[in-house]
This record gives sequence, C-alpha cells and structure tokens, in this order.
Amino acid sequence: MPEKSLRYGQLLGAIRRHHRQISYNDVVAFERTQPQTLGRLRLVDVHRLVTPYVSVRILDQVRAVVPLAAMLVGFQALALRATPEEVEIIALGICGVLVGLMLFMEGVKHGLMPFAENIGFRLPGKATPAVILAVGALLGVAATFAEPAIGALEAAGRAVSAERAGLLKALLGPFVDWLVLAVAGGVGAAVVLGFLRYLFGWRMKTLVFLIVPPCLGVTVVAAATPGLDRVIGLAWDCGGITTGPVTVPLVLAVGIGVAASAGRGDNPLSGFGIVTLASLLPVLGVFAVAIALAGQPLPPIETGASPEWYRLTPFAEMLGALRAIVPLVLLLYFVQRVVIGHRMKHVDIFAYGIGAAVLGMMAFNLGLTAGLVELGNQAGTNVPWAFSPHRESGAPPLYPRGLGLAMTMVFAFCVGYGATVAEPALNAMGSTVENLSDGAFKKRLLIHAVALGVGLGAAGGVARILFDLPLAGLLVGAYTVALGLTALVREEYVNLAWDSAGVTTGPVTVPLLLALGIGLGEAVGAPEGFGILALCSAGPIITVLAVGWWAQGQTRERRRQRGRSG
Amino acid sequence: MSQSEMIVLVDVVLITAVVQRGTADLVVQAAQEAGAQGATIFHAHGTGVRQKRLGVLGLAINAEKEVIYIVVPADQADLVFERIFVCAKMDTPGMGILWMTPLEKMATYVPHEVAARFGLHVESRDK
Repeated sequence: MPEKSLRYGQLLGAIRRHHRQISYNDVVAFERTQPQTLGRLRLVDVHRLVTPYVSVRILDQVRAVVPLAAMLVGFQALALRATPEEVEIIALGICGVLVGLMLFMEGVKHGLMPFAENIGFRLPGKATPAVILAVGALLGVAATFAEPAIGALEAAGRAVSAERAGLLKALLGPFVDWLVLAVAGGVGAAVVLGFLRYLFGWRMKTLVFLIVPPCLGVTVVAAATPGLDRVIGLAWDCGGITTGPVTVPLVLAVGIGVAASAGRGDNPLSGFGIVTLASLLPVLGVFAVAIALAGQPLPPIETGASPEWYRLTPFAEMLGALRAIVPLVLLLYFVQRVVIGHRMKHVDIFAYGIGAAVLGMMAFNLGLTAGLVELGNQAGTNVPWAFSPHRESGAPPLYPRGLGLAMTMVFAFCVGYGATVAEPALNAMGSTVENLSDGAFKKRLLIHAVALGVGLGAAGGVARILFDLPLAGLLVGAYTVALGLTALVREEYVNLAWDSAGVTTGPVTVPLLLALGIGLGEAVGAPEGFGILALCSAGPIITVLAVGWWAQGQTRERRRQRGRSG
Repeated sequence: MSQSEMIVLVDVVLITAVVQRGTADLVVQAAQEAGAQGATIFHAHGTGVRQKRLGVLGLAINAEKEVIYIVVPADQADLVFERIFVCAKMDTPGMGILWMTPLEKMATYVPHEVAARFGLHVESRDK
C-alpha cells in the first residue's frame, strides 16, 4: 500500500474554516458612506429566515385543526365504517383553512394590532370620552365583520330547509347582511359597555345580572311565538361566533389603554368582561332583527337562476375577504390619522400585514366551505346512522337504538372536550388564573373544567336536536343555574367563568359544530340544527363557576387552618 | 483544602453568543460536542442594524434573544467558536452575533484528584 504523507497543518487548513480578519472600524466607516445597503440575500438565507418562522406558525394551526378533523373522520371510520366522500376536496379545503388562518393571524398581528395598540395608548389623551366610546363601538362593529367564523353562518345557512324554518332561511339567505349587522351592532354596544365598565369600575356581577335576564326574557317570549322559536338557536349561537381571534385582541388592546388612562390599568382583571358582553348582547340584536323581519312577508327565495360572476366560488370569497377587512383597516387608519394625528412608520410592514390578512381570509373562506363545513355536514349526516336507518341508502341502523344514541352523545362530548383542550387562548387564561387565586385554581383544573363544560354542552346540543327538546327551556335552565352560582361566587371567578364561554369558540370549532348540528338536524328531520354552540357557551360558565365555588371553599379552609396553626 | 487557598484557572476564554430565542439549545449542544463543558443562558431582548435593513423579511427575526455564555480553555476556543458560527448559521443576516474574549482568571470547583495531579495541596489530606 503506497504511503502518502500529509502535513498536519495542511489537514487543519482543509477542515477548518479560514479566519479572515477585517477591522470593525473599517466596516462601520465603509457602511456609513453608503447607508441602507444590504448585501444580496442568497436563497439559502431566505430559507433560513423564513422556514422556521413559517413552520412554527403553521404547526400552531395544525394543532388546532387536525385533531378535530381526525376525530370526525375517525368516528365515522371506526364506528360507522363510512369514509368521507370527496376526501381530496376536503383535504384541500382543510389545507386552505390551515394556510388561511396562519396568514390571517400573521396579518392581524402586523397589520392591525400595532394600530390598535397605538390608538389605545394615545386616544385617551387626545379625545373626549364620547369620542373614545364612539371609536370603541365602531371598532367592535368593524372587527365583527372581519371575524373569520362569521363566514360560517352563510355557509351553514345553505343547508337550512326553507319549508320548515322560513324565517331562519330568510335570515341566513337574503337577509344575512342584516343578521351580521345585528351581531356587529351587539358587539359594538358590548364594547361601549365594557369601556364604561373600565372607566367607572363596575362589577361584573352587576352587569351579568343586568344583561342575562333580558336575554332570557326575550328567549322565553320568542319561544312562545310561532316562527320566532326557530331563531332561538341561531341567536344564541351568534354570541359564540363573535368572540374570535380578531375582536378579542383588538378590543382588548384599545380597552386596556383606556383602563390605564382611567387609572385602573393595574387591575389584573381589566382584561376580562368584554368577551362576556360581546357574546351576550348580539343575542338581543339578532332577536331584534328577527322580530322586525317576522312582521314582513318573506320574499320568495329565488332558486335556479344562474348567479352573477361575483357570486361564483373564487370571486365571492375574494370579495368577501376584502369586504371583511377593508372597513376595519380604513377605520383604524382614519382614527390614527385624523383623530390622533399620528403618522405611521414602517409602511411596508403594515402593507404586508394587511395583504397577508386579506389573502389569509380568502384562503380560509375557500377552505371553510370545501373542507370544514363539508366535513361537519357529512359527519352530521352519517352519525344518526348509528341508531336510525341511513337517510340516503336506507340501510338499517348499525347499532341498537340505545347504544347508538349513547355513542352519538359520547362522540359529541369528545369533540367538544378535544377542541377545547387544544385551544391556545385557554392555556394563556389558565396561567393568569393560577396566579390570581394563589394557586387554588390550578391551570389544568381550569382547562379541564372548561373542556368538560364545552363537552357537556356539545352533548346537550346534540341531544336537543335528536330528541327535539325545547332549546329555550334548556338555555333558561342553564343560565338560571349560572346566575344562581354567580351570586355565590367571588368576583374574580365570575369574570373568569363568564369569559371562558367566549374563549372556547374559535374559527375552527364554530364551523365544524355548526355544520355538524345542521347535518344532524337534516338527518333526523328537525327543523333547524342550531343551538350546539349556544349550549357549548353555557356549559363552561356553569362548570367554571362550580369549580370556582369549590376553590373558594378550599382557600377559605386553608386560610382557617393557617390561622389556627399560626 | 486549607482555608487560605483557592485554585484559580488561567488560559480561559469566554465565548458569548446572542441568538434568537429558541436556538440556544442547538448552540449549546454544538459547543459541547466541540469540547465545551457547560453553558449559561440568559433571556434578553434586542435588535441589530441588519434586522432593520431586511425590511419585511426582518419580521421573521425574533427580537427576543438568548445570550449564551460558554467558558472554554484557550486551546479549544477557536474550534468551539467555529462550531457555534456554523450551527447558529451566523452567515445569514439577523441570525445573531458571536464574540470571544480572553479571561484573566476563572475559579470553580476542581476535583481533588485533578488538583493533586498538578501538585497542589497534596498534603491537605494527610492533616
């Protein structure tokens, strides 16, 4: 074997990076002569910068969407031995939802939040309280239009039958803009009330006792009126839909600024409260519109005519996205420039943020119809097969009636529970609560209490569709229990419990549960399938209040023991 | 060890790396593979001039940073320095900054046997 010699120095020279020295003095001096230069970025640099950034964000969305979708598909596959139809389209749709949500949240963070923070910070110093309230109200309205889950309403409306629930069909069809406006108006009013609460330091208990009874009263009246009784489910569902990833942070950013200017910013609870109001007041708004429409003859619903180009699939979603975001951006820009007179820096980043939000909304809307709503609908259609003959094929039920019904309930419970445990907003809330309650109310305890409530609510909602129970009775019962507990429990837990209702219903859960309910309703011949979300909001209020009551007792007990020993 | 004695180590170099939050573990692992014995990580917040010039791409850079202190023997310093440079991808703008300073002296726990090997306080055990 021929020997080759290699100098050690040569080897080191080959395997080590060569150190080339430049004086930092020279570099800085050189760059000062030509400012704002950036060496050309290599492709690999862009990859290194962008890939980790994107992958973290998309994984967040995957974590929120995929378990739920898998649960729906898995239940159908395991229990019903049915595979979803048009799997490719649903999968594409879900990808659209993932990418859309990611872009949208990114856009909100960079395009909208800086505006809102700025406004919250500067507005109280520059404007009178009346102007602040007006800005808050408009912000609430505009943010509701931009809420991604609102699109699910329209998509859900397509599956409602006109004969059995005419008013409901009208509300979701030709009058859907009125409906959204009513919801948005409710949120606007909620923001005004929330700001007033910050300014005057009202107690949450007082607000709850002032607002919930009228909502329940209207519900009872509506239940007794033929026609209106079909709207109850929708009205209460709308409350859950409004409090999503746009409204909550935007309104909070402005609200906390206002609270700080009123000298109450140090209160750790100042963040709570608006969410509750924003999920209760739209109920009244929707009832108001429904009552107004009920007096008029319903217009015939045109069918069959070929729609104009702007109602076709890709264009409708694009226009919808623009219509959702542009008003909000214009409002924020107007307040920033005219009311505050502040010029903004980094225009390119704002432009990027707003572009990302519009694109994301578009992708989300496309994916929503094709993916989530379709999946939920199919699950709703297939699930009753467990206990009743299949609606389309007429095949006999797979399981005995009792077992099938029980399985359906358990399935609904699991969907509600699973969707909630994965919710990131709830996680953040849990940490705050653990600190607030001296560790008596553990983070895990809160998450599981809320999830249990949502799960029970989902099961209850499904049960009420299957057995055609009166929704008004269920809601009045649930909220009466909640009011009773509210009177017993300390103010902190009241804030927390009522807000946890809004936190749980994100842009993924809402369309899935709505579509599931409507599919179920169709399958069992119920007139409408709303109400699951309404009960999902009521459930956690009760469970969290109950756990709060228990934790309160624990803390008192511990204090007493400590007092005895010390 | 008697009360009036302490062991001071010399020929020591401090390597400090500032990287985006979340990448410190990677850097520490690379440094340990190259011979570093330990690392200290701080959380910090800051931006550099390159990040501002990146424009929209600059958004991808986390302003939350991790500062890593690694103390290494002078002989290994260049190797560790280089490994960190490669692992943290410092040749991309915005990824971070890395420097190395000689330390005058350093003190920590030195195992008795090791100290004895260098002829220090051999007699302390006999007393």
